[in-house]
Amino acid sequence: MSDKVYGAKCTSCGTVNYPARAVCRNCRSETFEPIEVGGEGKLLTYTDVYALAIDYETRYLRLAIVELDNGIRVTGQLLDDDPKLGKRVRSTIGVVRKPGEVSIMGLQFVPA
Amino acid sequence: MKPVYIAGAGMTKFGRSEWSLMELASNASLAALRHAGLGKIPVDSVVVANMGAARVNRQTALGSALVDQLALYPAMAEAVENGPASGASAFKVGCQAIASGMADVVLVTGVERMRVVNGLEGTDFVASLSQPEVEYIYGVTLPSLAGMFARLFMDRFGVERRHLAMIAIKNHENATKNPYAHIQLAVTMEGILTAPEAVVNNPPIATPLHMFDCCPVSDGAASIVLVSEEVVGKLGGPKVRVAGIGQATDTHAVHEREDPTDLKAVRIASEKAFSMAGLTPQDVDVAELHDAFTILEIAESEAAGFFGRGEAHKAIERGETKLDGKLPINPSGGLKAKGHPVGATGVAQLVELAWQLRGDADERQVKNAKIAYACNFGGFGNNVVATVLRREEK
Repeated sequence: MSDKVYGAKCTSCGTVNYPARAVCRNCRSETFEPIEVGGEGKLLTYTDVYALAIDYETRYLRLAIVELDNGIRVTGQLLDDDPKLGKRVRSTIGVVRKPGEVSIMGLQFVPA
Repeated sequence: MKPVYIAGAGMTKFGRSEWSLMELASNASLAALRHAGLGKIPVDSVVVANMGAARVNRQTALGSALVDQLALYPAMAEAVENGPASGASAFKVGCQAIASGMADVVLVTGVERMRVVNGLEGTDFVASLSQPEVEYIYGVTLPSLAGMFARLFMDRFGVERRHLAMIAIKNHENATKNPYAHIQLAVTMEGILTAPEAVVNNPPIATPLHMFDCCPVSDGAASIVLVSEEVVGKLGGPKVRVAGIGQATDTHAVHEREDPTDLKAVRIASEKAFSMAGLTPQDVDVAELHDAFTILEIAESEAAGFFGRGEAHKAIERGETKLDGKLPINPSGGLKAKGHPVGATGVAQLVELAWQLRGDADERQVKNAKIAYACNFGGFGNNVVATVLRREEK
């Protein structure tokens, strides 16, 4: 259980690969350093999804793709009662999935 | 490469089935084999397309299992799993075997029996194709990716919910003419969008998408017999040639794509398929697109090159993609109404197109169709197979 979310910053070209991968999608280098992913950004798109997978007991989940101010895009849960495209949001870390006894931590977004 | 022909095509009715996984696969295969009329010509290879049997049916090694059911030993056999593009991927593997000269007759059968598990399990098994660390853990499901895509796409290009409803209405209407379709029920704009009771009839699934924007969960199987030029010469009936196949991939996580509204893999796969066929999108008479969600029919028809960016919804408004329009799309009813047994879908699209090109599509026959295109959309657009078929005059 981690309270931080990391991407992989390519040490040759600086591209942040999120998710981390074996080979940089920009320059094909194989060396990376971890970089924390999060902070402020704007809401690129979102949905209220009622077609849920296992592990959720809620009626629906509000999911979003956020474009962070450093250009990195991330998928996460949106905790905002009044979402709008382009709205400023900031990340927090919370429990995003609970398969059985395990709590998986991840990105949640609230109004900035 | 040696030329490849479709000699036969068959399928089971899509929907909830009492048949077992192997009964579905066998019945579709037998229908295709009968359609091909091979007589004593042996089947050299069997390729089965399937996504979820290991998880939902607890069965693996489906290629060998189907050979055994059909007593086709000692034919070569394997199964192909490529998410929702499994069907066209298996078809591609079958074509490669004939194109290389390794086989003269290949049976390609797609099958899925996913109604055996409850909705949460079913949605989860498909969601397991999403990126595990940055998508799946958040509760991402395929409808949620489609909902986020739809909101962005609609905002950027001025697509409204009524345009999505027009797709649903058209595909449901086409499905009423298809005895193999899961849902044979015509729907109206009032019933699913404008009347007060539409909010009850058509509840949200992944906003802005509602129930009538999403395909049903189906059981079913579809099958095609591929043959070499030598074999097709021995058989009667119209000649349908596999003119081109293209496949392309994209980033696993949707958020990493430079423009998340651009279905790049559809674009590249289609360009490759048309280039192999020596044809252009303007040559196509009939198309089957992967409308697991109505928005995808719009976006894919643009990425495949039938319409410019942001233009497809206007063509739909003009009725151009209806059965009697300039370019009929999803005469079968599409995934929306024909149903979406995941591993069978890519094969079923090609079954419909083979029937269309042979003039076997009865009430939903597109007049004088000679060139057909299919888009089988895997993942959420991270693995796409495009196929172009052509009827050859004797």
